[in-house]
Amino acid sequence: MRALDWVIIAVYLGYVLVDGVRRAKGTREIEGYFLANRSLPWWAVGLSVMATQLSAITLIGTTGQGATDGMRFVQFYFGLPLAMVILGVTLVPFLHGARVFTAYEYLERRFDARTRSLTSFLFLVARGMSCGTIVAAPAVVFSAIFGWSLLWSVALMGVPTVIYTMIGGVQAVTWVDVKQMGLIVFALIAVMVTLLVQLPVAPGHALALAGAAGRLRAFDFSFDLTNDFTFWSGLIGGTFLMLSYFGTDQSQVQRYITAKSVAQARSSLLMSAYWKIPLQALVLLTGVLVFVFFVFQAPPLLFNPAAEQAVRAEEPAMYGVLDERYRTALQARATAARAVAVARVRGDGEASAASLEAFRAREADVGALRTEALGLARRVTGTSAQDVNYVMPYFVLHFLPVGLIGIFVAAVLAAAMSSIAAELNSLATVSVIDFYRRWVRPEAPDAHYLLVSKAATGVWGLFACAVATFAATLGSLIVVVNRFGSFFYGSILGVFLLAMIPRARATGAFFGLIAGMAAVGAVNFGAPSVSWLWHNVIGAVTVVAVGLVLSPRRA
Amino acid sequence: MSDTPQPGYDSRLFRRTLLSVMAIQVATLLLLWLLQIRYTR
Repeated sequence: MRALDWVIIAVYLGYVLVDGVRRAKGTREIEGYFLANRSLPWWAVGLSVMATQLSAITLIGTTGQGATDGMRFVQFYFGLPLAMVILGVTLVPFLHGARVFTAYEYLERRFDARTRSLTSFLFLVARGMSCGTIVAAPAVVFSAIFGWSLLWSVALMGVPTVIYTMIGGVQAVTWVDVKQMGLIVFALIAVMVTLLVQLPVAPGHALALAGAAGRLRAFDFSFDLTNDFTFWSGLIGGTFLMLSYFGTDQSQVQRYITAKSVAQARSSLLMSAYWKIPLQALVLLTGVLVFVFFVFQAPPLLFNPAAEQAVRAEEPAMYGVLDERYRTALQARATAARAVAVARVRGDGEASAASLEAFRAREADVGALRTEALGLARRVTGTSAQDVNYVMPYFVLHFLPVGLIGIFVAAVLAAAMSSIAAELNSLATVSVIDFYRRWVRPEAPDAHYLLVSKAATGVWGLFACAVATFAATLGSLIVVVNRFGSFFYGSILGVFLLAMIPRARATGAFFGLIAGMAAVGAVNFGAPSVSWLWHNVIGAVTVVAVGLVLSPRRA
Repeated sequence: MSDTPQPGYDSRLFRRTLLSVMAIQVATLLLLWLLQIRYTR
């Protein structure tokens, strides 16, 4: 990175801090601090919903997933539009009309205090942990690439975010999100254009190479419960996950209950839904183009510089031999790729098919050597050697022009900060409204609650930073974050579904919730091969079934 | 000038957003499908 890149990052950090803090003006009561007095326009809320969901993991991990695994991850979001339409006609009018601060507050009105407290406690556990992993994802990568200590990387993102969220509340979170979303989309498009310019072959040939390597397979219609990403797990499991996430997770609910009306809240959700799949496709396609770029520009054997150093020090001879074989395989693959382009330009169908077949074989050779190297790294370091989160940073730092590197790093920081801010704000809301005001101090002036809310935001910020340092070695972080949520999400959704069934009673809801989590736990440990996306379906269905059985009809 | 929405503004906004959602989803899925069948053998 050059001085210009650092200046861009510093300007970005300074701007979000000032912009966030100045939103504190006029916020003297908790209705304004947590809900912006329900006055925000739908488009700002919609962009904020998107920015919250799009974390640094998306920019770093999902592009890496596109490069190493292709487009199939996009299926994960196929249930999203359906979920948003269902939420628009069911939960959104309920929650917006109930004039609540948190989604869980509504559960006490419908059932009882223990159901509210249990669901809000589960939210605090799941979100508190996931907030830590959201900080950890870019922090780990930054420290490996720049050689910074993990603590410094965590502080770079954590400190400004905690300050503006603590002082500015939801107004700061939303309006900073809007600008961060703009920066993220700009950075992605700029990287995509740079990639297309730098590729030595035409875009059509690049797509042919990506397709031959299986990177453009976006649809998998097999019904395989053990496969994480299929059309059906995305559509069915994904719908349940998105219903839970957007319908019952306070970090999302809090975004749309700040909208001016029910219709504006619905529109903000729909807006975020219709941009989500194209945006994810753009992120994955950027990763796919990075893969094609590395077909012509030799990549390292291991993308994680810390793992590479460790292996070189521990097993220099074995790594040397492996690296030499890898270089030869890369050269053969690049030659085969050029032959594909030549055959396609000539319009020779037979030669084109044969050259694609040869390229596929050379790609398999490269893949086998990478697997061998990752196995060696795992043996040497004793930790997961998955380096999917390092592919994009390697490309950015080595091949993007000066200035664009700073913009991309600022976009990664923006993506991380927008998610962290929303989560800290919602964690503080639930802590204050569902616990402090409900159980500790029900009657106090607003100024007191405002002070406690700011303190709670700061405490959750510290907690998230502490968790981040432990979550650092958890492998593919994108899956880890969703896995945390999957243990509880389906069950919490089940309780909200029960709330909409008139005959459901409080006892049924409470014990149904416990049964739902037990069922997910049993499946997770008894049948670990079942994909975690199905946990949401299992949890929700169990809660509704058990809840209805324990809610006898009145005679 | 008042920033209160006109009567019917909310339902028009919702209908318009819903239609855009469907159109963009269908277009994106179609594009992904075409990319897959055109280039994946």
